[in-house]
Amino acid sequence: MNRASILQGLQDRVVTLALTIVVMFVVCSLIWPTKFPTFDNISLVLLNLSIESIVAVGMMLLLISGMFDLSVGSVVAFSGSITAYLMYYYGMYTPVAILVGLGLSAVIGLVNGLLVAKVGINPLIQTLAMMGIVRGLALMIAGAGIQNLPADFNAIGQTKILGIQSPVWFMLIIVAVFSILVARTVFFRQFYYIGGNEKAANLSGIRVDRVKIIGFVIISSLAGIAGILLASRLGAALATSGRGMELRVITAVILGGASLLGGQGKIIGALLGTLFMGLVSNIMILARVSGYWQEIILGLILIVAVAIDILLKKRAGTTPKKYVQQATSVASPKQVQA
Amino acid sequence: MSDNNLELQQISKEFPGVKALDQVSLTVRAGEVHALCGENGAGKSTLMNILSGNLQPNSGSIRWKGQEVQIPDPIEAQRLGIAIVYQERSLVETLSVAENIFIRNKPLNRLGFIDFTQLHQQTKGLLERLGLSDIRPQSLVGSLSVAKQQMVEIAKALSQKPELLILDEPTASITEVETEILFSIIRGLKQQGVSVIYISHRMAEIFGISNRVSILKDGQHQGTFDIDEVTVDTLIRKMVGRDLQSQDTENHTQDEVVLEVKGLQGERFRNVSFQLRKGEILALAGLVGAGRTEVARAILGADPVLEGEVLLEGKPARISHPKDAIQQGIGYLPESRKTQGLFLDMSVADNVVAANLEGVAERGVLKPQQIKQEAEDYIQQLRIVTPGSQQKVLNLSGGNQQKVVLAKWLMRQPKVFIVDEPTHGVDVGAKSEIYAILNELTRQGVSILLISSELPEVLLLSDRILVMWNGIITAEINREQATEEEIMHYASGTKNMYA
Repeated sequence: MNRASILQGLQDRVVTLALTIVVMFVVCSLIWPTKFPTFDNISLVLLNLSIESIVAVGMMLLLISGMFDLSVGSVVAFSGSITAYLMYYYGMYTPVAILVGLGLSAVIGLVNGLLVAKVGINPLIQTLAMMGIVRGLALMIAGAGIQNLPADFNAIGQTKILGIQSPVWFMLIIVAVFSILVARTVFFRQFYYIGGNEKAANLSGIRVDRVKIIGFVIISSLAGIAGILLASRLGAALATSGRGMELRVITAVILGGASLLGGQGKIIGALLGTLFMGLVSNIMILARVSGYWQEIILGLILIVAVAIDILLKKRAGTTPKKYVQQATSVASPKQVQA
Repeated sequence: MSDNNLELQQISKEFPGVKALDQVSLTVRAGEVHALCGENGAGKSTLMNILSGNLQPNSGSIRWKGQEVQIPDPIEAQRLGIAIVYQERSLVETLSVAENIFIRNKPLNRLGFIDFTQLHQQTKGLLERLGLSDIRPQSLVGSLSVAKQQMVEIAKALSQKPELLILDEPTASITEVETEILFSIIRGLKQQGVSVIYISHRMAEIFGISNRVSILKDGQHQGTFDIDEVTVDTLIRKMVGRDLQSQDTENHTQDEVVLEVKGLQGERFRNVSFQLRKGEILALAGLVGAGRTEVARAILGADPVLEGEVLLEGKPARISHPKDAIQQGIGYLPESRKTQGLFLDMSVADNVVAANLEGVAERGVLKPQQIKQEAEDYIQQLRIVTPGSQQKVLNLSGGNQQKVVLAKWLMRQPKVFIVDEPTHGVDVGAKSEIYAILNELTRQGVSILLISSELPEVLLLSDRILVMWNGIITAEINREQATEEEIMHYASGTKNMYA
């Protein structure tokens, strides 16, 4: 490998992040040989990040198309709450209650998508509003929390398969499926084109509105799955669960290579992002550092990672930042826009 | 020497892999209009960005009025008296004309707040001096026509009272009326001893306004000439380094009507009817804002059709989204490749297949090898200059970017190909290549609807010409009978065949 291709490789966040995680793993194994590289510790780390990773997959998809969704944390609370509510108060069969919970989560995504794509509300505003609305609904439904859920429901999130907790399996399957879909299928490839240039995508025959709406439905459904898994794993639905998750997930996904401008990112980056954040918090605990530091350190890491990225790109001269801005901010010679 | 306002000595600038400027030396005299021409990618913009402080040269020196100077940033350029009007608009659309012109140095009142009365008066005075009294200082820039916006941009540059004014393709988006105003402004500046660097692809303008002309090719200075000493042919040969291939002007029109538009009405045009035959190039001529692009977008399903219908091969076409139009064999090369045609941050290959993802997939699964192959075929066929199919389109020159957009549509093999300003901002060499491609398409039986504001292009390419003015068709002229003057009459509304 010559210098140029090394520089190029370092610009691929998936590569740099994976390398960083390997280094962290090796170093921590040397520092805490009895505590860190154990099966129990690692499966705990994975379990802790599994719920957020499922949501992160959806967030990566949306960010690829240049959008994002702040309502996911609330949907996590809502889907768990409504499912638990239906089972606990109405004795609804577990599979039916789950389907209703997932269906309603998808409807929330549909509403977000329709209002963003058809009415033209900015995704930030639309999903910020939806975040409040759905959190309120979750609080109304679950109140102080719903416990004593049916055993078959609890089994979904508390079973171990091959010694690994079921939420981890859910996460791995969802990441694998979406990785393949997003990398290889015509439908999901359209998200990159929309993130790259929405107007050009529309004029190239991509039904931008429809794809956007489906994107919101997907992320909301994934948040629904995450919420049901969480309730099942805890054996209780809490209206406060998923608080602040939206920003943690966006952090993870940006660390994993997405850009707020869209057009960039791979699904595996979402998993690497949450894995990285999970390892950082695990290390904090092992090092007996106060929990407050975790937020500070993650904030710093995010800034450093993005700054390094921009500097590397400038150095390689692939995309001088000014040029990008200039090129993308060019006003159309005529006023009519796509 | 002392009458030289600006002297560039041995300026070189390298980007990774490209030598954008190679030891360019140039002088600009006081009170002179110095035209600068060259193909896209020849280094004109790089040179201008160095003068305006956006880029730093790797070597060489700049002398300004006899003093060697450094221009580390645009503020210093402004302090020295260098003003630049970029090809791409840099106005804030949500602010008023006055606030845009005085984006710095706004007049303040005693309390330190902006003195709007004063601001508007100063702006009004400036606009009147420039012959632009129909622009109100209070108007939001976004509400002005594109041509007017361009004039505001020029007024903004002049408000700095520059001693060197750089104009980069200033007439690309303005009409004849504004061009005349611009030229009289430039003549006025000349008399005041202001130097002007005038970048343009339009030969008529270069010969009409400039004193001397310099040519750049591949970052190298090809010479500076007094305008009386050169001809259009020599200039083009110096720019391109080869003689342009002569155009095939054969008419390939067949009898069969492929596209018929009946009484089409949209928000900005009405009662548009025409027939497009197989293998024909039908031009929609007219001024910017006449409604031509809107007609194209309505046919394509990108804008709503209020009334009328579109028939494809005799059958009514059901089109509610560009996807429907594309599937029925209509292609549309949009007028602004950067904002509507290209995915700048994506690779050449991704761009080429953008409108044809199903074509490079099997049962919805993409085949990367085929994507690469298709892209490489078109790179070869259209002679797209790029290091490879994985190169980001961002890094290509304008002409090559346009060829990438063309490739995207060629791959769809459209029956009707609507091309909107296909050579806008494209250099002379790429222009003739694009003409050749369009002619070749008609030979294969493709019908082309050509929207162009460049009359020589319309006259060269088209078999038949429709002229639009203010949202209606005012004339239909055969190529044999058409002259630039006649088209201009219909385009500016002074004549109407149907009135």
